[in-house]
Amino acid sequence: MSARDAILARLGPVGDPAVLAAEAAGLLTGEERERPVGGEDLVARFLAQLGQPSVAATHARIGSLAELPGAVAGYLAVEGAEPALWLPPDARVDGLDWAGLTRLADCPIDDGAVLAFARAGVAETGSLVFETSPEAPMLPNFLALRHIVVLEVAALVRWLEDAAPGGAVPRAHYWVTGVSGTTDIEGTYVRGAHGPRFLHVVLVGSPS
Amino acid sequence: MSRAFDARVDAALADRQLKIAVERTAGTAEAKRGAAIGAWPSFGAARERAAAIKDHVIANLGSYLVQFEASATASGATVHWAETADEACAIVVDICRKAGARSVARSKSMLGEEIGLPHALEAAGIGRVETDLAEHIIQLAGERPSHIIWPAMHKTREQVSALFHARHREPHVEESIVAMAASARRQLRGEMLGADVGISGANFLIADSGQVCTVTNEGNAELSLVPPRVHIVTAGIEKLVPSMDHAVHLLRLLARSATGAALTQYTTFYAGPKRAGDRDGPEEMHIVLVDNGRSAMRDEGLAEMLRCIRCGACMNHCVVFRQIGGHAYGGTYPGPMGSVLTPALDGLAANRDLPNACTMNGKCQEVCPVAIPLPTLLRGWREKSWREGLEPVTLRKGLGLWAWAARRPWVYRTGVRWAIRTMRLAGRGWIAKLPLAGGWTGGRDFPAPAAESFMDRYRKGER
Repeated sequence: MSARDAILARLGPVGDPAVLAAEAAGLLTGEERERPVGGEDLVARFLAQLGQPSVAATHARIGSLAELPGAVAGYLAVEGAEPALWLPPDARVDGLDWAGLTRLADCPIDDGAVLAFARAGVAETGSLVFETSPEAPMLPNFLALRHIVVLEVAALVRWLEDAAPGGAVPRAHYWVTGVSGTTDIEGTYVRGAHGPRFLHVVLVGSPS
Repeated sequence: MSRAFDARVDAALADRQLKIAVERTAGTAEAKRGAAIGAWPSFGAARERAAAIKDHVIANLGSYLVQFEASATASGATVHWAETADEACAIVVDICRKAGARSVARSKSMLGEEIGLPHALEAAGIGRVETDLAEHIIQLAGERPSHIIWPAMHKTREQVSALFHARHREPHVEESIVAMAASARRQLRGEMLGADVGISGANFLIADSGQVCTVTNEGNAELSLVPPRVHIVTAGIEKLVPSMDHAVHLLRLLARSATGAALTQYTTFYAGPKRAGDRDGPEEMHIVLVDNGRSAMRDEGLAEMLRCIRCGACMNHCVVFRQIGGHAYGGTYPGPMGSVLTPALDGLAANRDLPNACTMNGKCQEVCPVAIPLPTLLRGWREKSWREGLEPVTLRKGLGLWAWAARRPWVYRTGVRWAIRTMRLAGRGWIAKLPLAGGWTGGRDFPAPAAESFMDRYRKGER
């Protein structure tokens, strides 16, 4: 008997998936979620969460994507960082004027800055939601020192459940809620353990 | 007590550095969790719901495993099944060999520790890079984890500093925790990105989508799992949840209970290997579903233990753990949850001390995010140990004598009077040394009893 058969034999007969799904769905009615921080307004709540110590992200607001290069250059200048970054192979960056900023051919692996487009932002936790695709590689978001994330105001959702993939399941669906941190030495929080030490969110569009 | 456990506890109690190290991290964790739960008025209802979700899955585990296998296979992953720890290790080593792997990057997984994976990889001659900072520390020190969230909790900053100076290529200059973390970052980066295989555990396996969820604050899971050609997941079969929404509910409880944050910094759901056109990601993804005694636990009165989401809150709040740290427990899992799990995983006869090393103060159950009745389960082990005659003769005779006296009030009260007189000869206030109680007074003083027993004072009209 294979290990699979032996384990399943001990666990008993397999039930009707439809019945199970209904039972499981019934367990989720009326969830208990934390009291909102920053009121009912999605943008205010999201920004309040970005400011929580465990997230500690900075942010800027722009009206449209055309202003993105200027906002990025401004952020890097204020931080005293080199005016250079790696941009994802996403058509949205191509039509923009990046003059004044160096576009790195390769993603920096231990320093520098990368830019990424979030698919959604979650007001509940300040999380940025990403999905892998040919236009959105994953590794750069975990390597560079500065993680600059572009998020449309219209892509803000209230709860983590609202950010779940709508259609086909992507190879990797991931939430970023802060920077690479550790408390492994005496419980003391240190930023930049392996990946980004700084997270900067550029929020695009005005609240409706 | 068995001599081995006794000796480990004695050594732990005598280790002043250990007490300092455990207090610093567990104390911080307790305070942060307290603040997070305090800000969440419906925590009580949320944990009841979490318990109900886990109970539903455990009751229908076979069905959910079959569903997960189908959806994970559809995503392009290969699903393997292992009844025992050895089978699981053999499967992992075999995959590594077929991939021609010389080195693996491992993202912290308690199941990996449970099945002895580090040892199995070493025996197979496969290099291993532990990428979680704490696992890196204990790999350098040649030790085992002492906590499920902070495996290097037993180390003070001074000890970590000395270790890094001895073993890192470019160790820190400034004596600060920030500089030590930077030293580890320098040391690990190349090794992590150059590994042939990435190995992780799973915080949740999502049945309807086949996704594998990992959570980390360091981002080391993603750095260990995305660059290599092969990603191997080893996961206990109890990690199943029906859907993403069920995982979300449990994730809210997990992070708050572990570190006090609303969510871990990086939460990732993997589904299969890289797709056409993807610029990164592994070419193969393997998922090893490990039983290792879990199906038996379900049917032998420990089903509630399978709710555990490995947050570590029970040990952070345990008065015994805070005194002796994790290594004294001797198993993979320390603290209250470990005292329930270890006898099931490694046998009761060798581990009957663990359920006895508990004050039954109930704090672990109170903080558990899935409401596991840990004291009840520990009591169950005590009863089983008694029924199976595993307790030593001195204890059995002593308890027999006590039970005989307790059924004869006159004998009992006379005995108490004599005991009080004898003990008060040994000291007033606190007793530093007491015959027949060296196990107690060796580590701490014993409170001297009042001059008269409660019954005597009650009879004299003191109300």
